[in-house]
Amino acid sequence: MIRVENLSKSFYHQQDESKILIDINLHIKRGECIILKGISGSGKTTLLSIIAGLDRPSKGKVLIDDEPISKLPDIFASKIRAKKIGMIFQHFNLFENLSVYENVTVPLIPSGLPLDDIYRAVDKSLKVANIYHKRSLVASRLSGGEKQRCAIARALVADPDIIVCDEPTANLDSQNSILFIETIKELHLMGKTIVIATHDPLFENLNFKSRIVPMFDGKIDE
Amino acid sequence: MNEILFSNQVIIYLLSESLLFVLLFIAFVVSIKIVIKWDFDSFSQKQFRLEKEAYLVSTITIFLFIIKFILLIYFVFTIDSLSILIAGAMCGAGVVTANEYGTYLLLFKLIIIATLILWFYLNSYDTHTKNYLHMKKKSLLFIAIFISIIFELFLDFQYFTNIDTHQPVSCCSTLFGQLEGANPLPFGLTIPLLLTLFYLLYFLTILTLKTNYRVLYIVSNLLFLYLAYYAVVYFFGTYIYQLPTHKCPFCMLQSDYFYIGYIIWGSLFLGTFIGISDALSSIWTTRKYIKNSRLVISMLTLFVVLSSIYVIIYYFRNGVWL
Amino acid sequence: MNRAFWYFLSLQLFKERSKHLTIIVISILLIFILSSVLFISSSIRFSLEQTLKPQPDFVISRLQGGVNRSTPIEWSDELFDIYGVTKVTPRVYGRYFFRPKGKSFLIMGIDAFEEESHKSLEKLIDSIDIKAFLTGNNMIVGEGVKEYLQKNFYNNSYKFLTPKGKFIDIKIAKIVPKETRLLSNDMIIMPIDLAREVLGYTQDEVTDIAFNVPNPDEWSNIEDKLLSLHYDLGVVDKNEVKKSYETLYNYKSGFFLIIFLILIMTFSLILYQRYNMVYSTEKREIGLLRALGWSINDVLRLKFMESFILIVTSYIIGIFIAYIFVYIYNAPLLKNIFLGGQNLQNSVSFIPIIDIATLSSIFLLYAVPFIIAVIVPVWRVSVTNPKEAML
Repeated sequence: MIRVENLSKSFYHQQDESKILIDINLHIKRGECIILKGISGSGKTTLLSIIAGLDRPSKGKVLIDDEPISKLPDIFASKIRAKKIGMIFQHFNLFENLSVYENVTVPLIPSGLPLDDIYRAVDKSLKVANIYHKRSLVASRLSGGEKQRCAIARALVADPDIIVCDEPTANLDSQNSILFIETIKELHLMGKTIVIATHDPLFENLNFKSRIVPMFDGKIDE
Repeated sequence: MNEILFSNQVIIYLLSESLLFVLLFIAFVVSIKIVIKWDFDSFSQKQFRLEKEAYLVSTITIFLFIIKFILLIYFVFTIDSLSILIAGAMCGAGVVTANEYGTYLLLFKLIIIATLILWFYLNSYDTHTKNYLHMKKKSLLFIAIFISIIFELFLDFQYFTNIDTHQPVSCCSTLFGQLEGANPLPFGLTIPLLLTLFYLLYFLTILTLKTNYRVLYIVSNLLFLYLAYYAVVYFFGTYIYQLPTHKCPFCMLQSDYFYIGYIIWGSLFLGTFIGISDALSSIWTTRKYIKNSRLVISMLTLFVVLSSIYVIIYYFRNGVWL
Repeated sequence: MNRAFWYFLSLQLFKERSKHLTIIVISILLIFILSSVLFISSSIRFSLEQTLKPQPDFVISRLQGGVNRSTPIEWSDELFDIYGVTKVTPRVYGRYFFRPKGKSFLIMGIDAFEEESHKSLEKLIDSIDIKAFLTGNNMIVGEGVKEYLQKNFYNNSYKFLTPKGKFIDIKIAKIVPKETRLLSNDMIIMPIDLAREVLGYTQDEVTDIAFNVPNPDEWSNIEDKLLSLHYDLGVVDKNEVKKSYETLYNYKSGFFLIIFLILIMTFSLILYQRYNMVYSTEKREIGLLRALGWSINDVLRLKFMESFILIVTSYIIGIFIAYIFVYIYNAPLLKNIFLGGQNLQNSVSFIPIIDIATLSSIFLLYAVPFIIAVIVPVWRVSVTNPKEAML
């Protein structure tokens, strides 16, 4: 499903090279739930964004269904992002002045689908994420947990195979965090491949099958 | 100061052309960078930046095409309206030939439009590859377009600053009228022969479009374009004007003839240009074959039907040929 | 592009309406100024063509040192002998200056034996008894002249002072209706002999002689023939008049356009600045769109559509306001630039002329600089890395 090969990422500030990721190899199978665990600065967010095709590596490659996403022209890369990957961000990243419904519609706009199909998909994912009852509310007026569920609905709307979460519980209270984990479990049971970058200890003992990949100083610490 | 330069339309035309050039220059610099430094397999920041800048070039080129197309029509329109200011000119024909630059300028404009269409084909092929296979070809073509536009801009200014409004110019009847004994048609053709070839080439073009003989298709398109020009000026035009002696490619652009010239010339040029670019780019990129056959067929058919219909209507109304 | 795209676009536009509003207001103002001027100039041009249509093809007069002098009336007989010449009309006209205010009117003489000028006069003013008019001390005045005379308390007649120092009292018989426009506004028409006296011509002199040559191919031949008749003969043909008017108005609006260019350039710079100011929130939003699967092309499309809608909206509104300003309110202030406020107030109303040339000129002059100014900033924001969404 996802294959990370010899991946390195450096940032250059004038002449200084700072290595964020060093020679990472990772193989994630279909339906797996992967927890990238590490303190901040360990490179887990950078790895996550390269896997999701949001950033480019300095070396090596990421293959999604045998497609090297980091080196694809934008037209193809964005199609993979749209169809295969659902993103859930740390700060939820909703369009604050659009309604929940409109927010969830956004990823489907470039798809060129007929409007009826878009509405059907949006309704469905709103129900799965359990936010359907708040669909006409403006995003800025939602509580933290509701924003999270709106973000989940948005990530699910294109029915992607892969769900990528960046510090999903960092801005949630413990009750909502537990609810989130329940949702993740459901998604896992639906057969989605899930990659979560987090340092939240809640994810250490999940009641479903998952693999923890600890990261330290830009390397996978095994 | 030359009074031509104070015509509103000339000012606006020259301004738009010059401003457009600023934008083109930016795209030109990027294209040069791409030709020199493009390396798709590299993971360097420079390469990633170039990939983004390539989007700037294509954005500019799309805009360039739209504006150039509008400006071509605007140019023809302007030339037509200038005929009041120039002694002896009755339509655009006289104005274009008011100095030695006009005809070349018009030709250049058509060639640039044709090359831009070719660029679009390359671009669409390029964006359908997963490694920007044709990026360098595309950039080289853009550089060629840029150079032709430098010439065009030079001709623009030369042309408009060198129109002498007092020097009488010839009107279309002297430019295109038949001199005693001289045959204006190419290859020593006669009108019936020209028409036969005209229709034959039309069918040949449509036929070759459906087959895979790309070179033949290009040649037949070019020949059709060439002969169609003469057919319109020396035969179909006389039916549009309903006057056997009126032979002119410009008068039909005027309101007296309901601006029909814009549609006739537009469909001819677009049809053949698209056809040729389509085939050329598919040869150049070694791709299988031609995409927009329906567009080409409908353009060319519109042209042929529209030209012929004037003749038929005239015959039905008057019971005789001109 | 589907309906969802347009919907999202409209949401975006509405959301950032305060940012767009200033741009739209300035744009509307610019288009309004530009199109007002171009509307006026094309309307004037149209009126001019209408007025010139019935004018004679050729006018000859005696030149002395390159200046028009009184023309001997015998010349008109010589004209009759040239084949192809029709409607030979000797004319007497000139400017009469009113001392107190430094104003001047155009005086035109009408010949009692000249059939052609009767017809055109009848066309000009219906319900006039030509015979009675031509035998008395009568005149027909334009609207502007009437207003001026009334302001100076000459309600029924005016005493003209001839160059010989004699006063002639001439009655106002009729006022030229307003619709004739432009040329007749400051005109006084009177019998030819009266005009001669007021302007100081002798009985066998005229100002110039007009005639027609119906076949345009003969024009240059006839011109050559005329020039060989007398050494001091000057010829002006109608096209030359038309051309010089055309050039004059071209010059006026051309001059304006060049000033306008400075405005448009300033506006483009403002636009460039404005579009280049990308706030971190906007950058993040674009990054988010890209992260959610929008391609660079999708974002470019969104951003250009945004600009395009701004352009089209302000274009339509600007033109609409200019139309009302020029054709319904008769363009106060601006009018004077074109018609010249130095002489009598021209009480001209503009005929609505909207042609493709003007509309496309306005669009090009405004839209091309607009798009050129925003194209690079729009591209720059559109290629924002999707990674921005993570920050």
